[in-house]
Amino acid sequence: MTARISRRTALAGSLALPFLARTGEAAASIPLGAINPLTGAGGAYGPSMAKVAKALVERINRTGGVIGRSIALDVEDDQTNPTVGVEAARKLIDVEKVVAIVGTWASAVTTAVAPLCWDSHTMLFCVSGADSITRLPHHGYIIRTQPNTYLQSGRAAEFLLRHGCRRVSGLSAQTPFAVDSWNRLKAVLGQGGAEGVGDIIYDAKQTSFRSEIDSTLAAKPDTLFLNSYAPDLEILLRESYQAGFAGQRFTFAYAATDAVLKALPAPVTNGLWSFAPSPDVASPAYKAVQAILGISDPDPYSCQIYDHVALVALAIGKAGVASGVAIHDNVRRISQGPGQHVSDPVEGLRLLAAGKEINYDGASGPCHFTPSGDILSCKFLFQVAENRHNKTLSIS
Amino acid sequence: MLDYLVSLSVFAGLYGLLALGLNLVWGLGGMVNLGLAGLFAIGAYASALAELRLHLALPAAAIFAALLAAGAGALLAAVTARLKGDYLAIVTLGFAEVIQLLAANEIWLTNGTDGLPAIPAPGRGRLSSFHFDIASTSVVWLAVILVSLLLWRLSQAPYGRVLRAIREDETVAAVAGKRVLAFKVSAFAAGSAVMGLAGSLYAAYTGYVAPDSFDVLVTLLVVLALTAGGLGSMAGAVLGAILVVVLTEGTRFLGGLLPGLSALQVASLRQGMIGVFLLLLLRFRPEGILPERMRRHHLED
Repeated sequence: MTARISRRTALAGSLALPFLARTGEAAASIPLGAINPLTGAGGAYGPSMAKVAKALVERINRTGGVIGRSIALDVEDDQTNPTVGVEAARKLIDVEKVVAIVGTWASAVTTAVAPLCWDSHTMLFCVSGADSITRLPHHGYIIRTQPNTYLQSGRAAEFLLRHGCRRVSGLSAQTPFAVDSWNRLKAVLGQGGAEGVGDIIYDAKQTSFRSEIDSTLAAKPDTLFLNSYAPDLEILLRESYQAGFAGQRFTFAYAATDAVLKALPAPVTNGLWSFAPSPDVASPAYKAVQAILGISDPDPYSCQIYDHVALVALAIGKAGVASGVAIHDNVRRISQGPGQHVSDPVEGLRLLAAGKEINYDGASGPCHFTPSGDILSCKFLFQVAENRHNKTLSIS
Repeated sequence: MLDYLVSLSVFAGLYGLLALGLNLVWGLGGMVNLGLAGLFAIGAYASALAELRLHLALPAAAIFAALLAAGAGALLAAVTARLKGDYLAIVTLGFAEVIQLLAANEIWLTNGTDGLPAIPAPGRGRLSSFHFDIASTSVVWLAVILVSLLLWRLSQAPYGRVLRAIREDETVAAVAGKRVLAFKVSAFAAGSAVMGLAGSLYAAYTGYVAPDSFDVLVTLLVVLALTAGGLGSMAGAVLGAILVVVLTEGTRFLGGLLPGLSALQVASLRQGMIGVFLLLLLRFRPEGILPERMRRHHLED
């Protein structure tokens, strides 16, 4: 009698194989998960984030690991989609039993994954911007290294005040953060003796904003706050110039792209201010990220995930125990406070092993967190357009 | 590992419901409906909002979601009644995009791209997450079994025969005195109700809905499930859904088997494998794994 394996059986068997074949990792290693947008809308950032996280984990493992154990990093793709993100988080939490998940990018993915994390006492480190994330009932299980709208708009308003702007009008594309940003900007301007004179929210897909610009200019602003994306910014700059507006214009760096500056004549764009949260370019940790990626200007998210991995390792080093709860209880003890300033996680681990207190300053900034998990401050890059190029004004 | 498999079985069941709904519309009625992500979204949002704002219990919210999705489906079918094949596919795809844009921009209702968090489900918080998953998978698979029995019965009934006749040749069905439009609209509405129900269960299970959850990826996976399982066959739709989850999730473990590849390479390989699988299937078994069984009546000479 011969055993017969039909094509169907063979197919079923080969499909089941991946579930059975588990990689044989040392029992002693600490499982750590990363959920990155390797493909989909965030695909421009995910691969370099994964590379940075892997490189730092390898370096920590080469230099003796954490509390005598190595870290086993599992990077999962979320396809920039919340449902896929939840499936990835399920695998990391239920199968790999990770102590923390680092590097969630899209706000929707972070929001979808967060309840799984706080239910299972897994720490979640994210780079998502939506203000609503840290307002979730996360019991301290979320840390966010990306500045929220509140912090960004406050710093934008301070910049405008420093440069003598007194009457600021807003033109904002319809986004979840449009209203929050304007309210915060207006409040800080008010404290500094300036005022916000009218905000218009527009649909970014329009091909002309002439009526929006006319009603904005009727309030006689000296500055326009353009909360835009690149395509609508281009139209707004051209049409406000044609309408005879000669005051200051302020926008986000992701809108004032080189393509926009190239598409318009220099007189239209000259003097356009733009700003973005900036990694701490003077930090040794930033230089480490540069070295890992082999480029001179790593994106902010790659810098942030470097800090995520560093914070996880240091919090475990401080606690002496590898668990989500231990990271939750110790992350602020190694990131802020009176300890010795360190920017190299490996050196930090050595100091912790010697019983010293440390204060980690990372590639993305000082890594000081509020009780709700937001960063207290970070550096911002301010630039001005001159002859179709952005020139750095300051990083502060 | 068991927790993970149980949670996957919930997703498999949800894809199964979507595939069943699509099977009624496409498999039996011959109407290519690529708007299923939109109907799924309507169900999910309707159920979430009914629970959060109107404080309905989940069963009532699920019925509300199914009815609303059925209404939207009927409207879509009535508007597109004269379209067939590729044209219908494009219009329905556009419908799904419109729903996703509405969800992203009608902030007063849907909370925009931030999505709706903390959607209640009976037992969440009281049960451990493992027991909650067991309960969820039981409910979802009970729904799958009931819906497939119902749809199977429907497909065997005279109603199903008329739908198949319309699929094969609309004019012949009309000449035979069948009211083609009424059959198309009612089939579309019934299929949409099933997709709405899937949306409701999805919202309750994950506890969070956002516009990003309803992109074209969902549609592609369900079309893949139905094509793999066998267009027109209810058992095939469910089997296809299971297969799709095994395929998409099983390939997650590839990374461990293939050291030396970067995370991006593994992610791309996973998506590529799914495409290759579909191509092979269409080459070697175009009718699907469990194809529709047609009862043929032989005529005497």
